[in-house]
Amino acid sequence: MDHTTDDQFEDNMGDARGGTSRRGFLKIAGLAGLAVSLGSQVAKANGEIGFWARDLSDEKLIDMYSTILRIRWHERTMADKMLDDPGYRGYNHFYAGQEAVAAGVCAALRNDGPFDQIDLVYSSHRPTGHAIAKGVDLKLMAAENDFRATGLNGGYGAQMHLSDPSVGFIGADGIIGPGPVLAQGSALSFRARGSDQVSVVFGGDGTYGTPHFHAALNNAKLLDLPFIYIMENNLYHQYAHYSYSCPHTNIADAATAYGIPARVVDGQDVFQVYNAMHEAVERARAGGGPGFIEAKTYRYYNHWGAPGARVGELGAFGYDPLAITSFRPEREVRAWMQRDPVDICRNTLTAWGVIDAERAEQIEADIRAEVDEAFAWAMEQPLADPEDGLLHVFAEGRVPARQFG
Amino acid sequence: MSEKTWIYAVLEAVQHEMREDPAMTWIFQLTPPVASAPGMPVINLETEFGRKRVLNTTIDENWMASTVIGAGLAGSRSATYIPYQGAGMPFQVIQNHAAKLRHMTGGKASMPVVFIIELTGQTPGFAGQHSDYELDTAYARMPGVRCVVPSNPYDAKGLMTSALRSPDPVVFLNPAGLRSLSAEVPDEVYEVPLDRANVAREGSDLTIVSSGPGMPVALDAAERLAEDGMDVEVIDLRVLNEMDTETLVTSASKTGHVLTVDQSYYTLCPGAEVIARIAENVDGVRYKRVAFPDAPPPASPEMFLWMRPNADHVFDAAKRLVG
Repeated sequence: MDHTTDDQFEDNMGDARGGTSRRGFLKIAGLAGLAVSLGSQVAKANGEIGFWARDLSDEKLIDMYSTILRIRWHERTMADKMLDDPGYRGYNHFYAGQEAVAAGVCAALRNDGPFDQIDLVYSSHRPTGHAIAKGVDLKLMAAENDFRATGLNGGYGAQMHLSDPSVGFIGADGIIGPGPVLAQGSALSFRARGSDQVSVVFGGDGTYGTPHFHAALNNAKLLDLPFIYIMENNLYHQYAHYSYSCPHTNIADAATAYGIPARVVDGQDVFQVYNAMHEAVERARAGGGPGFIEAKTYRYYNHWGAPGARVGELGAFGYDPLAITSFRPEREVRAWMQRDPVDICRNTLTAWGVIDAERAEQIEADIRAEVDEAFAWAMEQPLADPEDGLLHVFAEGRVPARQFG
Repeated sequence: MSEKTWIYAVLEAVQHEMREDPAMTWIFQLTPPVASAPGMPVINLETEFGRKRVLNTTIDENWMASTVIGAGLAGSRSATYIPYQGAGMPFQVIQNHAAKLRHMTGGKASMPVVFIIELTGQTPGFAGQHSDYELDTAYARMPGVRCVVPSNPYDAKGLMTSALRSPDPVVFLNPAGLRSLSAEVPDEVYEVPLDRANVAREGSDLTIVSSGPGMPVALDAAERLAEDGMDVEVIDLRVLNEMDTETLVTSASKTGHVLTVDQSYYTLCPGAEVIARIAENVDGVRYKRVAFPDAPPPASPEMFLWMRPNADHVFDAAKRLVG
């Protein structure tokens, strides 16, 4: 456990790569009260979390920024295609606004290597950001989301069932409930075979109300499992504010009640997320049991989006037409957009001297080209052979067609 | 009588019963009990009856179903709308409590409750987890729980009224693919019986038996077969438990040919029970069964639409069966 004080923090900053400029940024930001400094200030005030991001190489920091941008432009491109491209068929539960959570969490995980050594991620119905951050190939994912035969999962799964075990992305899950229990099941296997892998689940605020949330935390604690619950609290589950299903302001309080170390972090600041995740991963690898991180975040778009939407009608991804009981006030959406994870990360890295404005622009231009290329590639991929729907029911063979009588 | 959507017709029945019975409760998540129809008042159960009786709750379908059972055991009528993504979650408590309590208690326990279970996956792209091709059969074979599956707004309203008034727990399967249907539906309250199939079309050459999401395909095929010179009777099961054997046997005795059509997996689909009941009672009938293959519906529209029974499949199967 790191007990870095503010003074130690300032001293240590000098040792980190590019430390002088980062320290300078924090002082300036502190004086000026810049919004971008909020995350760092909170991290300092919470002396219990080490500012581990300070130890990362420039390359790693730029990777994290690139991941955020890759997710953002993936989501924006997909939304644009739904609105503008009549040939596009994919749907999505958009992740825009929450990018720093996936990027910060996965930056602290082992994503490359043999399957029995990499960390596993269990995702949700909102998986594209998690998938990109874990290292899923952008082209294959874009093709899968458009139901292509050469997509990540052959067109069988699409957006809600994306899965790529080769990078430890066990996958999306369209059902709210079982995910965390499945994830701690993987953690149980790690403990049984003496592996130092960790198993991570991403769950939204809606998962608090499921019995599986409580079963997973209780058993993970009882069994000291290397299991980390990432609670992405974006305030709304489906079309209801989380106060409809959770009596706590901080859902992390529930994890504390199960005896699990829990952190509440600013989910818009990738470095805060990373710091908390680094701590939880180190503890879990060392046999210290489960962790819980509640990232306060927000989705910019509607609960989900699909082709056929039209700009200006029903808000076209901004307004939830089914949110009759509990809708998202426009002021709330706009207020969250003022603390954008892309801006926060870019401004922090700029102030730290890791990148400058020109480099930031170049990175973003490269990412946009990469995303555009992925979607263009996806749209050229072949459609599925209809009869292949009878494959993959069991490990071997093909089930009979029954639709012809 | 006025033009109403499926959900408006259903909520009209619920609204009527809730006005009559101030103890009745309604539990939902995701799907607000709100509907509108041209020239008709907007129905919003939540604002009309307040949040003590109409609850927007957690994503915990087992809790939703268990809670209405508890309300029923306490003497209050109660209903819950289980959205598609959690349609299997309440299975255990319906199967092992709702279905058995009356019998296990020697008739002392009573649960006047309705579980509205949404069936989805009837349009391309939903993929595996949001496609319910087993739930009709799964929920239809629980003694003590009635199971209905309407195929049109008129039956949906009438069956809902009957379900809410029944002293028995009722699973009301709500095919989401049919929610966009509109039809002339009476404004006043009426009941559709919980034990009768509907002869949706009379004929003498062939009996097509279907239900819920299979009915549009069955009726479409029957129309085309009629144009082709075949006189087809179409039976809408409407009730899966207790299944109306008499109507099936009467029709099969007349036509001698039975084709079942199910938007459900082949193995143990409702048609399998239909064929078994007819075979036990009528000699010499010829059968065919059109159903979804025993494979989870894939996301790809190309695979899905090839696998899902359509009017062409039914037309061709009928020609092979009768011709």
